[in-house]
Amino acid sequence: MTLARWGASLFLWAVYAFLLAPIVLVVVLSLNAGELLAFPPQGLSLRWYGALFENEGFMRAMRTSLLVASFATTASLLIGTAAALFVVRHAGRQRERLRMLLMTPLMLPEILTAIALLFFLYATGIGTRTVTGLLIGHTLITLPYVFMNVAASLYNFDRSIEQAARSLGAGPLTVFRRITLPLIKPGLITGALFAFIISFDLFNLSLLLKGVGMTTLPLQLFDYLRWDFDPTAAAVSSVSVLMTLIVVLIIDRVVGLRSIRFG
Amino acid sequence: MTAIPIERDTPLPRPRTRALWLILPAAALLTVFLLVPYLNIILISLRPTVSGAAWGEGYTLANYARVFGDDYFMGVLADTVWLGLKTTLICLVLGYPVAFHLARTTSRWKGLLYVFVLSPLLVGLVVRSFGWLILLSGNGVINQLLRDWGLIQMPIALMNNTLGVTIALVHVFLPFMILPLIGTIQSIDPNLALAARSLGANGRTVFRRVWLPLSWPGIQAGCILVFVLTLSAYVTPVMLGGPQVKTMSVLVVQALVDNFRWPLGAALALVLAGTGALAVWLFVRAGRPIMRGME
Repeated sequence: MTLARWGASLFLWAVYAFLLAPIVLVVVLSLNAGELLAFPPQGLSLRWYGALFENEGFMRAMRTSLLVASFATTASLLIGTAAALFVVRHAGRQRERLRMLLMTPLMLPEILTAIALLFFLYATGIGTRTVTGLLIGHTLITLPYVFMNVAASLYNFDRSIEQAARSLGAGPLTVFRRITLPLIKPGLITGALFAFIISFDLFNLSLLLKGVGMTTLPLQLFDYLRWDFDPTAAAVSSVSVLMTLIVVLIIDRVVGLRSIRFG
Repeated sequence: MTAIPIERDTPLPRPRTRALWLILPAAALLTVFLLVPYLNIILISLRPTVSGAAWGEGYTLANYARVFGDDYFMGVLADTVWLGLKTTLICLVLGYPVAFHLARTTSRWKGLLYVFVLSPLLVGLVVRSFGWLILLSGNGVINQLLRDWGLIQMPIALMNNTLGVTIALVHVFLPFMILPLIGTIQSIDPNLALAARSLGANGRTVFRRVWLPLSWPGIQAGCILVFVLTLSAYVTPVMLGGPQVKTMSVLVVQALVDNFRWPLGAALALVLAGTGALAVWLFVRAGRPIMRGME
């Protein structure tokens, strides 16, 4: 019996280790003082972060990624919140069907969506040469994340508070600003953070929709790794890991990780 | 007295149409940039593939005939589906115990363990695949450790083959298996298992007759997610499979980006999506008896 318990806990820890190992390794190796991506690292140093900030390609890609992620997050936040309000409060019997429809971008294979958009942008002349394709594609993919998190916070919403405010003479806009918005804030924050991270990491869609001569951080890292295999790549990766960690901590503070929804 | 139908959650008797503007932006976005492009891609897959232009005039089934008639394409499709099944099964075997533990534990480390599961999901695909590159390559960490311990003389091939791709894919998609499972297992009343135990069922029977059927919705959701995601994975197979391992997504991107053969690429992608949908449908059908309690 105790042997079985030991076995079970060993198994669990092995899976946790498996999940974390590659990520921890990348971060450790980014702090390597040596020339090579070698393990164990030869001393600690931040020199590869210096190399990263002097690398014009990576810096440009990072700016593009930040720009696209900011746009997609803002757009998804506006469109997704409005949609969540409608679906939860006004959709009536169509609620479930509409909810599924708004989740479709998440359920369709990303690569197929990317191709479909590529052809569409080409055929309509909206063009595949500018950043527009990336903005549209990223908004489309991040929309469900905002929608599901905001909708979740709306489901657990006590509407009598709003009615009380109304009966005390507050107009609809005031009620939204003073009552609704503060109460759904956790959903908004979680949704926005998810949208930002998902957009920042999106690969397939960006590969097909990026404009000419344009690149995002994951694409640049992918290209870099084809020819170079040095700790600069690990430094880039660590920046992205750090960002994720910050986001996870914020979400945990705001709503608690366990309330995050997937589908 | 006749019952008056009351709609819940809409206490203010306002016409619903007035709120329609709320859904309009989302509806417009999804129609113009999702529905129409998907209809369009079907049309383009029926266009002739020509050189010098994105597609030719008229409609034809030649692209599909090409995909289904070519042993190479069909072989890659079979490999891709096999890779998807393998990855899904391994994710289920590794993920179920973890999900079960996380759903039931009262440990004060629960939050941290949750971060362990969730964080990999939020770290980019390229970064995670890069981590595996460092671990699995010829001079990689694993080979080096094995050599230092004197277990091997020559490095063993852990990547540029299906093994490396499978390991990395399992890592990449495991959280997608665990998260839906946690939700389902949490919603199961543990008293049911206790009741079964007190009625004389042994551990294995309790698992088979109580936990498994009741957690089936989560198993199904997790398996479908992992399978579909694996089928359309591109980054990981390219980074860890090298030139030897070809999956459908790799062929699709090749046809589109490298060879500029859009209609053929569209047909390839749609055949892949159709195969995925068919597999999911079969899986859902096969699961019905389990849902009913494995009589």
